[in-house]
Amino acid sequence: MMRVWRWILAIIIGAWLPIVFITWWWNASAESTNPYFPPLSVIWEQFKVNWIFELVPVHVVPSIRNLLVGFLIAAVIAIPAGTLIGASRSGTRYVEPVVDFIRSIPPVALVPIFILLLGLDAQMRITSIAFSASFPILLATIEGVRSTNLVVLDTAKSFRLSRSAILWRVRLPGAMPTVFAGLQVGFQIAFVVTIASEVLGSGFGLGAFTLIATDSFLIVDAWTGVILLGILGYLLNLVFDLVERISLRWYYGQKKLS
Amino acid sequence: MTTPAISIRDVTMDYPTPDGVNHVLAGISYDVAEGHFVSIVGPSGVGKTTLLRLLTGLATPTGGEIQVRGERLTSSPEGLAVVLQDYTRSLMPWLTVEKNIALPLRNAKLSRAAMRERVEESLAEVGLTGTDRSYPWQLSGGMQQRVSIARAIAVRPSILVMDEPFASVDAQTRFDLEDLVLKVRDDFGITTVMVTHDIDEAVYLSDEIVVLHGKPAAVRDVVKVEIPFPRSQMATRNDHRFAELRTRVYGMVRGLE
Repeated sequence: MMRVWRWILAIIIGAWLPIVFITWWWNASAESTNPYFPPLSVIWEQFKVNWIFELVPVHVVPSIRNLLVGFLIAAVIAIPAGTLIGASRSGTRYVEPVVDFIRSIPPVALVPIFILLLGLDAQMRITSIAFSASFPILLATIEGVRSTNLVVLDTAKSFRLSRSAILWRVRLPGAMPTVFAGLQVGFQIAFVVTIASEVLGSGFGLGAFTLIATDSFLIVDAWTGVILLGILGYLLNLVFDLVERISLRWYYGQKKLS
Repeated sequence: MTTPAISIRDVTMDYPTPDGVNHVLAGISYDVAEGHFVSIVGPSGVGKTTLLRLLTGLATPTGGEIQVRGERLTSSPEGLAVVLQDYTRSLMPWLTVEKNIALPLRNAKLSRAAMRERVEESLAEVGLTGTDRSYPWQLSGGMQQRVSIARAIAVRPSILVMDEPFASVDAQTRFDLEDLVLKVRDDFGITTVMVTHDIDEAVYLSDEIVVLHGKPAAVRDVVKVEIPFPRSQMATRNDHRFAELRTRVYGMVRGLE
């Protein structure tokens, strides 16, 4: 019972500012004749027309698909690669400067290069997403695996576990809290690159929709796109947090007790 | 003359440091007899843990050699299990108690059922039946150290090596764990080597106590504890021989004798 109340309280505390903001926006824009800032009530009417659920299959589904496929490819490549590199002392030394260099380039700036290399199809978009998202995941995994606790390592060695068992069953699981920090950053980058990659040469996807609407002076449509992007980003982060909480139950459980 | 369980032969250990070589151990020789309980004591920083790492094959001596049952040690040997002081780190926090205990059994190639049975037996031996689905961090410190003992005996070792196993638990739990270790040793006939800084504990548990002293450390003396087994916390600790031995070993550790 206490937990339910605490939960409700947390929602109230978290929700009051957005509610105040939306109310203010609704009222302040009600009489607006400025074409760039249409009344929120008008935007809302158009939002319902566009996104419940008329245009969802055309513009939302491709974006989410690209995002998830690109992000998963990044994770599937970067986590094993980072584990191998992090476990090898010289590997870390050789790889880290290169990774740090590429990571320093804003991911969005790489999209034109991918267009040159791969053209304008979904494959290019997924490749850009996977490429950009993989670096934070790679770095976090290297760091997590490299800093395996020595007692843990000694214990595993004294059990005569094989090198691969020590790597995949001891060092990587122990590094998962750090890996998840990298996954979180990678996921946010993947979202940004998903939208940015649609700005060029695409008729589908939320990024394309919003850009085309802006260029065609369909300001209300553009606003609905921006608002939907905000909502989607927020919801995707909630899902990510949930997956993390479930996967790292041992970690949060332990932290709560200590 | 039978082969000793562990034979330490003229072992030296040096570490290179930025300020020159750090000589930790110099010419340590000692044989651990089959079935014995041996404690290694000495002042803090004398190199007890270094010697223990050498015994478990986690490190290689710079001079001399260590043999386990007549075979020169090059890596962690089969049939030797280790319990470390820091149970909060040596138990994997992402695995349940059951999976922690099953982890070293991976090499044993047991069937799923046999593995489960082995885990259950080991938990029963340390009095923790029913905790298999808990995570180690949900248990008290004493219980966690019981889990690491269960994990060690799950591989049915013939040699058990422990590094300050009871250093971070309260006094009552410590007594219970000491008696548990004696029971385990009786039930399985395990040769046991324990590093400790607690002299009372060394006297209570051991057949022989190896006292390290000096820098670099050498064997200062080997003390035989001729108090018969089974021992009990009440009677043994009130035995006049217990008091004499404790005083003697204490004097040696402090360099007074």
